[in-house]
Amino acid sequence: MSNFRIFFPVLMIFSCTFLAQTTGNRAVGVTLPVVTLMDIEPPGNISFNFSAPTEAGNPVIAPVSNTSKWLNYTSAVAAAGLPRRITASINQIIPGIDIKIQAAAASGSGGGVLGTPSAQLTLNTTAQTIISGIRGAYTGNGANNGHRLTLTLSANTYANLSARTNTPVVITYTITE
Amino acid sequence: MEDYNESFKNNFFFSIIVLMLSISLSQAKAQRTLTVGGNNWTVPIPSITEAGTNYAGTYESAANQILLTASVPLLLGSGKVSVHYEANPTWNSSLILNARRTGDGTTVCVLCSISGGTTYQPIGLADVELFRIVAIATLASYSNIPIQLQLSGVSVTVPAATYNSRIVFTISEI
Repeated sequence: MSNFRIFFPVLMIFSCTFLAQTTGNRAVGVTLPVVTLMDIEPPGNISFNFSAPTEAGNPVIAPVSNTSKWLNYTSAVAAAGLPRRITASINQIIPGIDIKIQAAAASGSGGGVLGTPSAQLTLNTTAQTIISGIRGAYTGNGANNGHRLTLTLSANTYANLSARTNTPVVITYTITE
Repeated sequence: MEDYNESFKNNFFFSIIVLMLSISLSQAKAQRTLTVGGNNWTVPIPSITEAGTNYAGTYESAANQILLTASVPLLLGSGKVSVHYEANPTWNSSLILNARRTGDGTTVCVLCSISGGTTYQPIGLADVELFRIVAIATLASYSNIPIQLQLSGVSVTVPAATYNSRIVFTISEI
């Protein structure tokens, strides 16, 4: 009995000490997926019209460049993922006419690792890179956000020019790795 | 026979006294205790559907996502509940976790108090105090103290991946 008298309080003390829980946890998880989105803002077609010269001996007058379109994108890549680039191509070439494109550096409300524009290039039916080096980034949405595009038409080989009306040319932009 | 009865009675009452003393001593010696209940939080991130946009960036759990039960023994008087996170196994430091106490929970202790932590506290890798409990002349035990979590810094600029962490709550002396 005397052993019990000593042992019991000691047991109580140690059991409470060792069984007391002073910490605990809960898990938090979040998945951020790969994102690849791109569009041209504002929507709609643009028109270019060459003008006839008013003085004999002068060439046709090229239209002014169009700077109304903005390229927006959102890109999320894995840490080991490849950077993205944006290419452009046209569905047909108009004989005697160059369609040139130049993307400006990104501006507006975007952030992240935005792309670097290429130098002005002449579009053809093969996709060419106009912006490269895009990683985790967003440009902001709508006009005045992203990369302003400058489209310019000019005559190249004058002998190949011919009068034509309403020749639709589709420019295809693609974001890819 | 009478001696035996007297001896038995003495031993019985002594045992009762020893038992009561043991319980008292155990309370005095007992550590503060904390039990973490509620649910894990899988943050629902809506998909981005418009080119050029980013995630909203900040997301909140339910107000009672985590339920803490904390007690402070009489002789210890007070305790603080701290919180930190541990990557499990991968977390990104751009993802900021915050926690706040959205209620007092329930207690039968009239003179006890629970204070602090009602605004979001950033959760780091080191313990930061979330709230404290003070007991006055009694055992302070609060059950189901509701904790809300917040995740900010969600952006496409954070590498695409699945991130997990553990939010660790600890009760200790002030």
